Amino acid sequence: MSKKWSIGAVAVLAALSLAACGNSKSASSTSSKKPTLPLSYSSKKKAISGGTLKVAEVNTAAFKGIWDNALTTNAEDTDMMQFGNEGLFAVNKDFKIVDGGAANLRLNQKAKTATIKINPKVKWSDGKPLVAQDVAYAYKVLANKGTASQYYTGSIANIQGIAAYHDGKAKDISGVQVKNKRTVVLHFKVMKPGMKTSGNGYFWETAEPYHYIKNVPFKKLASSDQVRKHPLFFGPFKLAKEVSGESVKWVPNTYYYKGTPKLKEIDMQVVSPDSIAAALKAHKYDVTFGLGSSTYGKVKNTSGYTFTGKKALAYDYLGFNLGKYDAKTGKNVMNKNAKMADPKLRQAIAYAMNIDAVEKKFSNGLGSRLTTLIPSAFSEYQDKSAKGFPLNLKKANKLLNEAGYKKGKDGYRTDKNGKKLTIHLAEMQGNSNTQAIVKNYIQQWKKVGLRVTLTNGRLLDMNNFYEKVQANSKDVDMFEAAWSLSSEPSQMDLYSETAPFNMGRFVSKKNTQLLNKMDSEKAFDTNYRVKAFKEWQNYMNKEAAYVPEVEVVQSYAVNNRVKNFSLSNASKDFNWADVQVTSNSLSK
Amino acid sequence: MWKTILRRIIIMIPQIIILSVLVFILAKFMPGDPFTGSITPQTDASQLHALKVQAGLYDPWYTQYFHWVVNMFHGNFGTSYQFKEPVMAVIGVRAVNTLWLSLFTVILTYLIAIPLGLLAGRYEDTNLDRGIMFFNYVTYAIPLFVFLVLGLWLFGYVLGWFPSGGSVSLSASGFGSVFSRFYHLILPGVLTALLSTTGTVQYLRSEIVDQKHQDMVATARAKGVPERKVFSRHILRNSLLPIAAFMGYSITGLLGGSVFVEQIFTYPGMGQLFINSISNRDFSVITALVMIYGILALFGTLLSDIIMSIVDPRIRIK
Repeated sequence: MSKKWSIGAVAVLAALSLAACGNSKSASSTSSKKPTLPLSYSSKKKAISGGTLKVAEVNTAAFKGIWDNALTTNAEDTDMMQFGNEGLFAVNKDFKIVDGGAANLRLNQKAKTATIKINPKVKWSDGKPLVAQDVAYAYKVLANKGTASQYYTGSIANIQGIAAYHDGKAKDISGVQVKNKRTVVLHFKVMKPGMKTSGNGYFWETAEPYHYIKNVPFKKLASSDQVRKHPLFFGPFKLAKEVSGESVKWVPNTYYYKGTPKLKEIDMQVVSPDSIAAALKAHKYDVTFGLGSSTYGKVKNTSGYTFTGKKALAYDYLGFNLGKYDAKTGKNVMNKNAKMADPKLRQAIAYAMNIDAVEKKFSNGLGSRLTTLIPSAFSEYQDKSAKGFPLNLKKANKLLNEAGYKKGKDGYRTDKNGKKLTIHLAEMQGNSNTQAIVKNYIQQWKKVGLRVTLTNGRLLDMNNFYEKVQANSKDVDMFEAAWSLSSEPSQMDLYSETAPFNMGRFVSKKNTQLLNKMDSEKAFDTNYRVKAFKEWQNYMNKEAAYVPEVEVVQSYAVNNRVKNFSLSNASKDFNWADVQVTSNSLSK
Repeated sequence: MWKTILRRIIIMIPQIIILSVLVFILAKFMPGDPFTGSITPQTDASQLHALKVQAGLYDPWYTQYFHWVVNMFHGNFGTSYQFKEPVMAVIGVRAVNTLWLSLFTVILTYLIAIPLGLLAGRYEDTNLDRGIMFFNYVTYAIPLFVFLVLGLWLFGYVLGWFPSGGSVSLSASGFGSVFSRFYHLILPGVLTALLSTTGTVQYLRSEIVDQKHQDMVATARAKGVPERKVFSRHILRNSLLPIAAFMGYSITGLLGGSVFVEQIFTYPGMGQLFINSISNRDFSVITALVMIYGILALFGTLLSDIIMSIVDPRIRIK
């Protein structure tokens, strides 16, 4: 499904991962053993021909209807267009690009090229074939200043000549070469091991219908009818109708290269989180996207539904304010005298948190404590032996004593110089439980003698939060935030010396060395890369500059009349074209 | 009177200018910017910076303000950061949705409230009056969002009489889509109207009760005017004044939209757009909406004054 880059907003993710409802009944029923949701569901009954699949997008915001990957920046649009929006490449369960998609990819380390060969059977939904020009034009859409695309990044600028095009110095992109009708060769400055994986950002994984949009000026593309009203796709379905901000209707793309889809129609509708539970109980929808864990708790026993789920490519973490970002040099600078500079203090803070208990109480069994900065969706790269920071007050106290934070008469510890120590925690508004969860952690820290207060004395609005955290404001000593990740696990964008999103500004020689190792030429050998990843995870847990907190299972309701539904990352395991229903009305 | 109206409109100009400066500065004071919400690990900070420069977000506020005002005079409110479409196009779609829903709700509110208020006032202290007052207290006490959720649950999901969300069915076309639109309005419209009657009923009732004891009513009765005429001629007209006073606001308020209704019924309207634009710092939409609301409020007062002068001969705009 979402085998591409994830473009979920941070705020959405925070709501997603922290979302939970204090339903004590369901919390206690999910005893110590976590319910593992199946990855796939397929009804055993015989399928009918045709049928309409009803899909719900659970969201408070209306979708925007920008039907173009290079231009849209919201997760709702990506969800709403998934039925037609197929990527160029097929992937396996570890997000590695494999043969068998709309195009095949060949990397050549020596020549520093990637060759994209298009499957000659692939056609756009207007019947025109997918050609090399379509793949090449996508890079112009990305890089032209007129489109103001947010996806023009340092990684994509690794393609030769794209920067010159971006700056208006060249008419074409020299590194994107149309070799023949169905072959495109990309020329890179450097080769990266991440190029083997989908979501890497070094090349673009969708195409633009050149014949259809070539006359639309770049500046007008996002608001043009070609993108808004009658978009073209080469995936299994095509957009038939849209009610602005509410719903979309998809019908089969009869030109689909893997054969005509089985369903007659897919209707997808935005449903408010306030009413999705009632909607499921009334059997209004076949499949849900974006179901929160609190709603899951309310509906998980609804008859007629099977709940599927998979580990989200996302996690919550606790960061510490350790320095500043120097915009002039483009580098993070760590301050050795920062309040939180001592790793022992940071470790103690992590060991004092009762994350397991919080997740058990609030997440309906969907959330769990994360033990390293690599979430388990990256099963290949995650260090499964990592212990992380389980609750251990004794150890926390010991670490603080060793580091020289002495306890005063009031039960609170002073800093190393004997002065009053107050730690300011910046916390974003989440859902109704956020306040309770934060209060709980503040009490936990009090148990080990640390005085923690909220920045501004209250939860911060998302914009306010990131403004303070990114500026390394003085009234922020630590912060709880979340990342939604791309399917390529490189950690450069988040934790390197030059990454502006390394918001704690943690920098060390060892860290830089390990990060480079993970993205080095040698790391083209997956075994070598996996080893490097494990080394880095081990190191980061020792430094505790970022404490991994929670990862969640994203749940999807599937009605029992649905056949061939799967959440597997591998292209071969799931295709909307194969989905069928076994009756005209939903199973009750 | 025309002279007065013209004068009032001229006075509005400085008011609108002050409003526009305030709106603009306050919007810029909000922490964050339109790009904060869409940051992912892959977002390139330098590209973000370039986009902000391109959007003019680093210019001094007066430069930005100047551009905004000049464009506004050309009917151009800028491009929405979230929707990547001209602001007027974004607002247009939602304004139509909101207008229909509000119009339906307001008409329904008056259709319910005016008879109830009249009956309660006329038959003061009878069981009928007590019944209406009880209804009034109940509607006053129930929070709108609770009532909406309950109503949606009962009529939309359990009984299945009405659609549970949206403004029109996906499969409707032609005349069917007009019908479908109306069908989608009924449940949110009726539920909101039922709870919006409180003020009108209460005002109307107490005015009628007041008017009943006026000397002119006693005189009319003494002259032998039939009771029915006393009510329709002498009492009713005077009692409608406070309601007429709010009429102007009601009309211009049609575009305001309701966040609760729109959220619960996933009905894309102005209220939802406004809230989402604020949380996503979609400056161009926020400022345009506040300006529109402000101007509508100014016209609302003017309209109310005009209506008042029509229904109340004692008030004459001089």
